[in-house]
Amino acid sequence: MNATVRGFIKKEMAQAVRDPRMRIMLFVMPVIQMTLFGLALSNEIKNVKLLVVGQPGDHMMWKVAEHCFASGWFVPVSVSNLDPFEVLQSGKADAVLIAPEEGLGSSVGRGAGRLQLLVDATNAVRARGVETYIQAILASMPELGARGPTGGFSIQTRVLYNPSMRTPVFLVPGVMCLILCLLTIVLTSMSIAREREAGTLETLIAAPVKKWEIILGKTIPYVILGLADVPLVLGVAVFLFKVPMKGSLLEIALASIVFVCTAVSTGTLISTFARNQQQAMMGGFLFMFPAIQLSGVMFPLDNIPAAIAWVPYLNPLRYFVVLLRNIMLKGGEPTVVWSNLAAMAALGAAMVFISFKRFHRTLN
Amino acid sequence: MNRGLDFWRAISIAKKEIRHILRDPFTLTMAVGMPVLLVTFFGFIINFDVQDIALSVINRDHTRASRDVVDVFTSSNYFNVKNNTNPGNPFQPVDAEKVKAVLVIEKGFAKEWREHGAASVQVAIDGADNQAAGIIGNYLAGIRKAVQEKLSGQEMKPPVELRTRFLFNEELNSRWFVVPGLAVVVIGILSILLTALTVAREWENGSMELLLSTPVRPLEIIIGKLLPYTVLGLAGVTFVYVAARLAFGVPFRGSHLLFGLACLLFLGTALAQGLVISVVTRQQQLAMQMANITGMLPSFMLSGFIFPIESMPVVFQYLTFLLAPRWLMIISRSEFLKGSTFLDLALPLGMLALIMTLLLTIALKKFKKDLEP
Repeated sequence: MNATVRGFIKKEMAQAVRDPRMRIMLFVMPVIQMTLFGLALSNEIKNVKLLVVGQPGDHMMWKVAEHCFASGWFVPVSVSNLDPFEVLQSGKADAVLIAPEEGLGSSVGRGAGRLQLLVDATNAVRARGVETYIQAILASMPELGARGPTGGFSIQTRVLYNPSMRTPVFLVPGVMCLILCLLTIVLTSMSIAREREAGTLETLIAAPVKKWEIILGKTIPYVILGLADVPLVLGVAVFLFKVPMKGSLLEIALASIVFVCTAVSTGTLISTFARNQQQAMMGGFLFMFPAIQLSGVMFPLDNIPAAIAWVPYLNPLRYFVVLLRNIMLKGGEPTVVWSNLAAMAALGAAMVFISFKRFHRTLN
Repeated sequence: MNRGLDFWRAISIAKKEIRHILRDPFTLTMAVGMPVLLVTFFGFIINFDVQDIALSVINRDHTRASRDVVDVFTSSNYFNVKNNTNPGNPFQPVDAEKVKAVLVIEKGFAKEWREHGAASVQVAIDGADNQAAGIIGNYLAGIRKAVQEKLSGQEMKPPVELRTRFLFNEELNSRWFVVPGLAVVVIGILSILLTALTVAREWENGSMELLLSTPVRPLEIIIGKLLPYTVLGLAGVTFVYVAARLAFGVPFRGSHLLFGLACLLFLGTALAQGLVISVVTRQQQLAMQMANITGMLPSFMLSGFIFPIESMPVVFQYLTFLLAPRWLMIISRSEFLKGSTFLDLALPLGMLALIMTLLLTIALKKFKKDLEP
């Protein structure tokens, strides 16, 4: 690498880390964010506020209630107003379990036991979960004449790679990907847009440096900064959240390099369309919002409509999320690793080519 | 010199800001068009009804009973059954991301069932995707009952019949749940980003110092800067509302006035947050980074948009009290679907007002301090 590019890199790095607040943003925030999201987020359904309505003498009903609250999924609520609809509408309870008028005990005695469950379905996912929970609880109560898990046909379920269904194991690789993407794309696009806004880019063009030296000098520092964050977030994932690291670090490193290069060239591409930093920021948002939504971190991608099923294939985040999860949790199945790496590299190469070409042209 | 608040001076600053916005059609389109586009696009895409789950089947017991079990899986709509061609390592297709679950029926299943009236199969689920794993687990309960009925030839009546009514969203349409939430996320992020940059830019190119040397007072600058963006934000909200009603048929059961008020308060907090960021950073690159970290990721992750707040550890639940999107999320969903009253929403509304006042005070304090040498 020649001295000009090295000089560029030095200047750009110095500029990025000169501001102590920027240093915090670059090296401390990713760790805090990983920790925060890893600790806080869970897609389990629990702490459902349940109101049980029944006669005081209906022992069977209170037995059911006891089982519900002992399960850990539900928490009791006490309200003065027992109108189930109003209780749900005001948000004081998420679900109301109502015994029949004759009492659950006597209805089961007659062989026609029934219960009514009203669920606030504002959150459709949660509502379905609540019904499944109550059904499971009723099916497990021998007092109600349930046969229990033994006898009859049964399904033994085994959850692979994450037997205790811990959310961090599933989420942390995804969050890692989001943080790296935010850092690199935003930094790159805004740094180039700033030079354009301040007019220093024109000075550079007038200076006796080659175009490709400017391009490399402006992008390589952000590749380095992005890669510097990889071991940080990876460390938090593995040591703090005990996310398994079954695959090879080499594969992770390879995937990270390809991803960071792709992200940096995306940032460069965005900056070529922007006249100032505000536009660069908007462009960054325009790319990142869909990219995050379609990365498979927030919701499963298996069900998106067929007409747009090809869109995620243009998303570098998606490949990186698949790669991180597969390598970390499953040990990196060769066909998955290489096909995703190849696809991401192809996408990255296209990005690099287009962005450099456009950048080159805008420099003229 | 007039030390009071001169509204007209604020208006002139607003006028200048409006001219600036209008001159830049790109930003204008982004601010107003983006929310509608994003909400519509993602409203269609985001879907929590997991169907056609790829399931690999290993049937080592080639009997009628075992085929009956597979039939139930096939005809359930939930699963897309694929026969395993490599029975050596049953979980290989999961490693290769080809299937989400594996059904294994061991040899002797039918015999077991005939002799004891009890038999079991094994289902292994890919735990790398927690969300899908939970949903598959839920489906299996229904499958179990269907298989039981098919094998024993008699309807299985549970001892207690549970009649469930899903209020406010009878058909469990997950779009009704996603769209009102998505609206909050999109509008919140855009507002923070826009204001964060506008003031940071003035610091960066020095025009803020110029502005401060004029008789305009900090509060007037703040009001003048925020007013145009509030209008932009409200326009965005209106478009999103229309999209939600027309494109997705989401009902609106609450009061428009209440919803409008909540949106206004929320825009106030988002804009004030952007303002604080820009006053603190005074540099666009840093402002953008801060806006992303304090605005974008928390709105996605900690607002209850997808990950329920109720499931967080208690400390974090209290921490989310400081996040405005969390409160508008509650209001938006209840106003669209439940039709909650002012009293039901007093806490979220109050919190929004409190957060807004807090952020504006911080912004003003910071501004004032900068004035003194």
